[in-house]
Amino acid sequence: MKVNRWTVWRRIVQILVLLLLATPSFGLSFFEGNLGAAAILGLQLSDPLAALQILILTGSLTLTMLSGTGIILLFYGILGGRVFCGWVCPVHFMTDLTDMFPWTKRLTFWRLEWKYIALAITGILSFALGVPAFETFSPIGIAGRALTFGASSSLIVLVLIIIIELILVRRIWCRCLCPLGGFYTLLGHLSPLSVAYDQAKCTNCGECQRVCFVPEVLEPTLNKQVDRVHSGECTRCGACIGICPDHALNFGIRKPF
Amino acid sequence: MPEEQKENLPIGVKGAVVGGAAVYLLFKAGAGYGWMLRPPGAVTEEEFLKKCLRCGRCAHVCPYNSVEMGRLTDGIAIGTPVIIPREMPCYLCPDLPCVKACPSGALDPELKDALKTRMGTAVITEREECLSIKGLRCEVCYRTCPAIDKAITVENYLNVKTGRHAIFEPVVHKKDCTGCGICEKACVLERPAIVVQPLQPPSESWYEG
Repeated sequence: MKVNRWTVWRRIVQILVLLLLATPSFGLSFFEGNLGAAAILGLQLSDPLAALQILILTGSLTLTMLSGTGIILLFYGILGGRVFCGWVCPVHFMTDLTDMFPWTKRLTFWRLEWKYIALAITGILSFALGVPAFETFSPIGIAGRALTFGASSSLIVLVLIIIIELILVRRIWCRCLCPLGGFYTLLGHLSPLSVAYDQAKCTNCGECQRVCFVPEVLEPTLNKQVDRVHSGECTRCGACIGICPDHALNFGIRKPF
Repeated sequence: MPEEQKENLPIGVKGAVVGGAAVYLLFKAGAGYGWMLRPPGAVTEEEFLKKCLRCGRCAHVCPYNSVEMGRLTDGIAIGTPVIIPREMPCYLCPDLPCVKACPSGALDPELKDALKTRMGTAVITEREECLSIKGLRCEVCYRTCPAIDKAITVENYLNVKTGRHAIFEPVVHKKDCTGCGICEKACVLERPAIVVQPLQPPSESWYEG
């Protein structure tokens, strides 16, 4: 089996992120928080969607949140919104591994646009419940807390995701349901970094779509309509680049449109 | 193909609405589970739930590991910080690391003096069980109180049962009680006779500004 170098890099980053999230439980203090809000060596970071919910609920933001959100928006704005999903998010890592089990009969994929509905519902629920709704039910938060505060009943949410993805629909959470994924998809449209496509080299073998967890994004490219992957759904995971036998795909930087 | 997709979308909308409603009911149902002792400087509970990001930073910086995170059974308060005094009370660090760590203002950064926090107030809930009120010399709650002689004083009076001994009764003064829970932790009884309870009625803010 050919080793996909980009996937290897991504696994290393994903494991490093898990270790980083777990550092407070090892008694190390250079990192505190989770993927909703954190400080690394004193640098304040916060998730833009979390900040947005607090802004909706209270009409104001602390300076810490504002600057932390600015840094994150800039980071993922340049690298591509769903880089968060592909390289950082522990739930995506978990469902990546779940998706390696090939033996189940499942619906292959559902529609991607549901994420926007989930995002809208998150906003409505925030109002209805008077809490930042995504931070409340987020499996990402639950995973992060489990890493530092130990296992608890909340982990049932993660187990449910694994079971549903194993027996019903592949990648349903990350593809169709995650409000944060929806948010970062919107941000990803603006990114200058994307997968570039060399039409002359491509033999239309379809390997790239086979390894991609959102193969829809490669459709217009393979139909030779565009010379790069435009969709914000692309996590810039690089799996297609690593697998392409014709070296027709690579990361490229273009003027954002 | 496009027609199939058009049919799928309403199912998606329905599914999402059902899912949203389920989440709403799940958390609304769990919202009535009563009062939780929050870390120092916590703004009013309603405001706190709006602002708390459940990031766990207050718990990560707490040197005593006093702060725990709400579980699934806490309903809407899942992932929010809570202090369970009987496990580990708040020791009122003078530099208030939890307040400094909070990024969203759920723990009010205006709080500078730990003794000014008003997380709740100690209440002697079991007068019949309290050893001091029974006439023994216990007064452990009084001795351990960080605001000794202000938040808890000892009032002595004649023990009418014996007619010749004194009763040294610990008395909580709500005005000066931080709600740290050290007394609750220290109480020698298996079920503490002194327990931190919410300030009644809730004030504008949980601490004195």
